[in-house]
Amino acid sequence: MPLLQPEEQAKVRDWFAELERPIELLVGLGPEETPRAGSGDVDFGAEMIRVCEGLAELGDRVTYRVEEEPKGFPRFPAVSIRPDGRDVGVRYDGLPWGYELGSLVGGIVEAGREESTLRPDSLAALGEIDRDVALDVFVTPT
Amino acid sequence: MLLAFRCALVSERVAATAIEANEFPKLSQEFGVYAVPRIVVDGEPRWDGAVPEAEFLRRMLAA
Repeated sequence: MPLLQPEEQAKVRDWFAELERPIELLVGLGPEETPRAGSGDVDFGAEMIRVCEGLAELGDRVTYRVEEEPKGFPRFPAVSIRPDGRDVGVRYDGLPWGYELGSLVGGIVEAGREESTLRPDSLAALGEIDRDVALDVFVTPT
Repeated sequence: MLLAFRCALVSERVAATAIEANEFPKLSQEFGVYAVPRIVVDGEPRWDGAVPEAEFLRRMLAA
């Protein structure tokens, strides 16, 4: 089954063509938790590679590589979105399928911007943070 | 999800991770994930559902 329908592929190609800096997708593979019943016989690691390979084909500035249990990855499979190859703390744990594939694509598009789309007051508030903040957002396929 | 990513991309102090609830059922159970998105800040579940940017920042920084 193709990763995206032709019209979706065209849209993503357009978005990726606008990337202002290269994005590396670092796929981390390792021991996987047994997912909830109903997930079938999905090989999550192999699917993650297929997803990232498919996205990398849609933009010259998007690349991917695979590592076994890379540093800083607590769960597998996962993908770190790295502008200019740098770890900036943006990661997707688990296979982003269905609607959530859009979150990964959106993360790549956001990471590819030189300037944030956040509001000026948000940028000011983030500039004043004097402690580390870990945001975990539980999502699920629909 | 994208708001969290945007925050992490701007601030070196912020890390943002999306976690597929169905793929990590033990972790989801630990954080009582029944609705998504469930936002966890520094290991503490804080709120469920999408909120506007200003409110997201307010809740994140108040945690």
